[in-house]
Amino acid sequence: MDFAALELTLRLASLTTLLLLLLATPLAVWIASGRGAARRVAQAAVALPLVLPPTVLGFYLLVGLGPATALGRTLIALLGHPVAFTFSGLLIGSMIYSLPFAVQPLVVAFSSIDRPTVEVAQVLGAGPWTVFRRVTLPLSRASFITAAVLCFAHTVGEFGVVLMVGGDIPGVTRTLSIAIFDQVQELRYTDANLTAAALAGLSFLALLVVYGRGNRRAELA
Amino acid sequence: MPQLPRFRLRLNARVGALLLDLDLALISRWTVIFGPSGSGKSTILRAVCGLVPQAPRVGILSRRLAHRKGGGAPEEWDQPHHRMAPHLRGLAYAPQGAVLFPHMSVRENISFPSAVRRGAAFQQPSDRQTGSGAELVEEAIRCFQLEALLGRRPGDLSGGESQRVSLARAFAVPHPRLILLDEPFTGIDRALRDALLPRMQQRAAQLGAPVLSVTHDVEEALMLGAEVIRLEQGRILDQGPASRVLAEERARMLQMLL
Repeated sequence: MDFAALELTLRLASLTTLLLLLLATPLAVWIASGRGAARRVAQAAVALPLVLPPTVLGFYLLVGLGPATALGRTLIALLGHPVAFTFSGLLIGSMIYSLPFAVQPLVVAFSSIDRPTVEVAQVLGAGPWTVFRRVTLPLSRASFITAAVLCFAHTVGEFGVVLMVGGDIPGVTRTLSIAIFDQVQELRYTDANLTAAALAGLSFLALLVVYGRGNRRAELA
Repeated sequence: MPQLPRFRLRLNARVGALLLDLDLALISRWTVIFGPSGSGKSTILRAVCGLVPQAPRVGILSRRLAHRKGGGAPEEWDQPHHRMAPHLRGLAYAPQGAVLFPHMSVRENISFPSAVRRGAAFQQPSDRQTGSGAELVEEAIRCFQLEALLGRRPGDLSGGESQRVSLARAFAVPHPRLILLDEPFTGIDRALRDALLPRMQQRAAQLGAPVLSVTHDVEEALMLGAEVIRLEQGRILDQGPASRVLAEERARMLQMLL
């Protein structure tokens, strides 16, 4: 069992989930708040990582974050080193890769909140922030948990993006899914089996959390 | 009893198929908008709340001067062409069909208006007269006999119970400038309605806010002895004391009894 890879995977997945929820919440609020063309374009763009091969995403990230683009050069100037093949690069890649899993449940949650409920809260004196904190957020709690678990599990399971952007540097960018690949390449089947079992268990547990909550949501409504 | 402010609403907007064109004065403690469904009654209340995007500039002219920030100058809202966000309008509102917050208990629902106002910005000198947020909540709970339901969630309430909670929540708004009630007695039986009406009148007077309610129930309008505005197709047909404006309906009801 590659414990460095396990630690790295959990750290990457937790950080990705945390940052992604912070980013996805305002994005989902905006998408759910209207019907304009810009929102539809944003929604399509957010869903893109669902259908693109991870290698395509990884390739663009590798090029985009490198010295070939203005964004890449700015990042290099800011950080003092290229982000590709580092943990930060991995984090950026993971966030983009798991973005739809954070945004979609929140968009569904926010747009299913009854319009009159929000309106009466406003008239009774709640400003936009108060409405969000006291009405929108508690009514979409279940979806936040779903989004968090899905992001975490999806990040744990990613392979293509990590390999492209991160390379395979032990302790820095070698996650569990890549460790398995290496172990199989080196014909270490026992180790690969252990790692694979750990991943399968972790993912199943995460999904159990999501579906185990299904009944409770019905209770709340 | 505090001096009653006078309001005048001006509204000119097309909402769906309805063309609303009104200029009405609230000169009584309780004004009832009476009219058939689809006549634009609820839309008027929603427009006053600032919830009708087609009618952002509902002019509300109040003769009362503002307490806010030093007092003296009329509130911004008093200027007819100012678009003010709903939460700044200082309204008490019970919408049609009792829209409660499903994730809050009955008590939390009723406390919502004072809870969201917690903070120095909303403390006003008249607090001594109308009571603090907590007292307002207790008073509203008593007024609508909700003591036994406080721990329940809206999902476990009957239609009439929900309606009472919605009304209590409106009457627990601190310093309302105007109390707006949309079909306030839906699902509430007559006996209870007859008991609640005088209490609500009294409570509104204590709060110093005029009431504008919407109904299609003749009895309700007659019982209140309110000023009645008869509305049809978005236009005012008549305005005056209930006994005069609804004389025809009243005669018909009496005839049915004889």
